[in-house]
Amino acid sequence: MIELESITKTYLLGKENVNVLNNISLKIEQGEFVAIMGPSGSGKSTLMNMIGCLDKPTSGNYTLSGENVSHYSENELARVRNQSIGFVFQQFHLLPRLSALKNVELPMIYAGVSKVERQLRAEEALNKVGLSDRMDHLPNALSGGQKQRVAIARAIVNKPKIILADEPTGALDSKTSTAIMEQFRELNGEEGVTVIVVTHESEVAAYANRTIFVRDGMIQLPSASNRGASE
Amino acid sequence: MSFMENLLMALSSLKAHKMRSILTMLGIIIGVGAVIIVVAIGQGGEAMLKTQITGPGNTVELLYQPSDEEIRANPNIFLQAPFKQEDIRALEQIPEIKSIVASSTQMSSVRFQQETADVSSTGINQAYVKLNEMKVEKGRSFSTSDFLGGRRVGLVSHVIQEELFKGKNPVGEVITVANQPIEIIGVLEKPTGLLSFSSMEVYLPFQTWRTIYGSSDFTQVTLQADTSDQLESAGKKAARLLNNMHNTEDSYQVLNMEEIAAGIGQITRIMTLIIGSIAGISLFVGGIGVMNIMLVSVTERTREIGIRMALGATRGQVLTQFLIESMTLTLIGGILGIFLGWGTASIVSFFAGWPSLISWQVVLGGVVFSMVIGVVFGLLPANKASKLDPIESLRYE
Repeated sequence: MIELESITKTYLLGKENVNVLNNISLKIEQGEFVAIMGPSGSGKSTLMNMIGCLDKPTSGNYTLSGENVSHYSENELARVRNQSIGFVFQQFHLLPRLSALKNVELPMIYAGVSKVERQLRAEEALNKVGLSDRMDHLPNALSGGQKQRVAIARAIVNKPKIILADEPTGALDSKTSTAIMEQFRELNGEEGVTVIVVTHESEVAAYANRTIFVRDGMIQLPSASNRGASE
Repeated sequence: MSFMENLLMALSSLKAHKMRSILTMLGIIIGVGAVIIVVAIGQGGEAMLKTQITGPGNTVELLYQPSDEEIRANPNIFLQAPFKQEDIRALEQIPEIKSIVASSTQMSSVRFQQETADVSSTGINQAYVKLNEMKVEKGRSFSTSDFLGGRRVGLVSHVIQEELFKGKNPVGEVITVANQPIEIIGVLEKPTGLLSFSSMEVYLPFQTWRTIYGSSDFTQVTLQADTSDQLESAGKKAARLLNNMHNTEDSYQVLNMEEIAAGIGQITRIMTLIIGSIAGISLFVGGIGVMNIMLVSVTERTREIGIRMALGATRGQVLTQFLIESMTLTLIGGILGIFLGWGTASIVSFFAGWPSLISWQVVLGGVVFSMVIGVVFGLLPANKASKLDPIESLRYE
């Protein structure tokens, strides 16, 4: 499903080349629930951007559902993001001037879905996350947990194969965090959506079937990584 | 993503910053408004000048310009009226001519009770009334029997009422024109328009005029035809006919006012162009204002752009979104500007007695041009938006 082969990402910082990702190889199967952990500056955000097709590797191959996307043009990557990936962010990233329903409709606008169908599917997605009574609210009128549910509804509305969540509970209290993580587990279990969560909380990582530790732009071996997590 | 979708999105984002949008539009509103005002008043003025110079509907004036020989033979030639009664009768035979407007003018002393004044006294035929649209503000105009019977009645200009009658109603009073009594039957309306000025004038039926002055010759002859083509051939035939009858070579000519009017139209068009270009500069400045605000808007909405890109918007779609937004801004501004220009031009023409012409070409031009400004000045901000890096933009606070 997701296959990274010796992915390297190099940034030019001043006159120096910095390897943010260093020869990473990784395989994630359809239907997995994976947590990516690591200290800040470890390269886990870059890894997530890479998997989410927001960034291109300097070298290496990325194969997504059998397509080698490493050399895709920007427009092709935009299509892949639109069709195959649903993003959930720590800061929710809802458009403040649009109602919950309109926010959820957004990815379908870029997918070219007709207006009527858009509304239908957005309502359906909001129903699924339990927000059928908040559809016309602006993000400001929603609690943090509700905002994140809208974001999840937006992420699943185009029926992507992968949901990428970057610190999805980072801005939420523990009770709400649990509810949100339950939501991900449900999507993973019932719909078979591959869920990848970037986090530094072990409670969040505990929902995953597998945890990948990133340090200094490299994936740590399980033995070493266990030690890293306990630090 | 359809155009309508983009348009609705643009409208909602303009609505979100109402004050800013209105202030930005103001530059376009004033710019488009100014251009419309200048063009409308310019075209109105041109049209008015043309009708005043050429006179109403398909007419030419006949002109007598004696040659040097004729002047040497008769030094008083300029004092004589050049058109005789038989000339008019001969002209009536030309089939293209619809009507012949003939008149004769002399300066005369006019008296009412103790007051006297020097007045231009004009004897006119019936066609003159119709062609010059003589309207009376008091009393009545001439009737057919006034002309046929040569009755001693006259119309006076508005100034005469003011000067000779001290503003009192002169209708029914009797004045003397060249010592002959004339009953005033009406007062003419005050002339309006740029080139007309009110002067002391008395109009008499030609039959009456001729008995007072003892001359049956006309100083002025104007021909009217149905179409401009007919008018041209009528004018040529008339000049040839009169030159034959008077044994002159080329003294009788057709004064082609169309040509003069075209020349004057050229001048007003150039004037309109110059002032319009100055107004166009303000439109340009308005466009820069739009560009400025759109740049601010792009910076402010960096995160929105990042989100849209993460959700699958291509760079082209982001570019289109911002282009349509700036175009919507200038289009609304342009439409409001057209109303502003139209309103102001109407008010100006109301007070100046000057017609204003808003043609559909000007309106269409205004709409299209403001859209073009939106696209041209929106290009830089929209391009900036589309070039943003989605990862950086998502992190933007």
